[in-house]
Amino acid sequence: MGGLYDEAPEKAVPSDFEGGRQAGLRALEKFSVRGYAGTRNKLHGNVSRLSFYIRHGVLGLREVAESVRERFGQSYDALKFWQELGWRQFWQLAHARLGNRIYEDLEPAKVNLGGSFPEELPEEIQQGKTGLVCMDESVRELVETGYMHNHARMWFASFVIHFRKLGWKAGERFFYRHLLDGDPASNALSWQWVASTFSHRPYLFNRENVQENGGKKWCERCEANCPFAATYPELERRLFAS
Amino acid sequence: MKTVVWLHGDSLSAMDPAAQKYPDAERVFVFDRPFLEKAKLSFKRIFFLYECAAEAAGEIRVGDTAEELQEAMRQRAAGRLAVTESVSPRWRELVAELQGKVEVEVVPVADLVAVPADFEAKRFTPFWKKFGKEWGG
Repeated sequence: MGGLYDEAPEKAVPSDFEGGRQAGLRALEKFSVRGYAGTRNKLHGNVSRLSFYIRHGVLGLREVAESVRERFGQSYDALKFWQELGWRQFWQLAHARLGNRIYEDLEPAKVNLGGSFPEELPEEIQQGKTGLVCMDESVRELVETGYMHNHARMWFASFVIHFRKLGWKAGERFFYRHLLDGDPASNALSWQWVASTFSHRPYLFNRENVQENGGKKWCERCEANCPFAATYPELERRLFAS
Repeated sequence: MKTVVWLHGDSLSAMDPAAQKYPDAERVFVFDRPFLEKAKLSFKRIFFLYECAAEAAGEIRVGDTAEELQEAMRQRAAGRLAVTESVSPRWRELVAELQGKVEVEVVPVADLVAVPADFEAKRFTPFWKKFGKEWGG
């Protein structure tokens, strides 16, 4: 497989997340849906980490949904979890319809995204050296494990697209290379959802959101002049004024 | 007729629907070199796929997928290639290429919800309200 990946030999090590159906079944059995709805947006919340297996068809969507129904019945947590499984099928249906058009803007952007987009993310972003601890730690986790929490993905995408004005395509490629659950449709269309080329409005976040869902540890050791420390109306004025 | 089951990155386990339909057929996975050279996936991603394939497939090959599958069929004197459906454009291209050369049987996936073939997925909420009732939608 030499030549098919970019890493230096000392960095070419497997993820802690193990591939294969047996590993997938163990992860499914271990997953309890209790508390999912209320905590899934928190970085340390109860998320399933089944996406790697679902994305590669190692576990079936219906199989996973039925396992939760058999073990936990129909609760609010289960409904929320099934809805997330529904997103997976939705992305697949969209991909079936759109084909490679998922890699082009599906709708006009609803805000000013800028106009000069690089092919690749700047090195300081890819290497987690922006000085913004919340972004750098998220990237480090992605590169070192192949995983990033969904909320951190949204923050990072919003940072790349709206705060740095780098467009969505370079970030989409970066995620696809590293995410163990990287799926063309989920990935590209989620980036477009954040950008507002596949949604009614752009996705923005602020420091309050990061602290509420990720805790204050990142901010406490961050020395940067935080670009996220503002209200949403302020951010909209700052980021989208023509 | 002897069958080879093609496992691919969207359906990579022994519970693959095509493998279930042909339980005695040998399962083959191909690391698609043209795709990987372009995509430059991380080592971790490739290794994860390898672990899935090592558990599920009798043979793992590396190269041009259509050529490797035909070679795998020739070696086993197989007349049919069975494969589970995918929405991937690359998968569709490969199936179209192979259909001109060998018999290909496409096996459907068990979806979460049943959706008519002509449905246009544009926004999630109306999709889930319309089709997700079994799962509380």
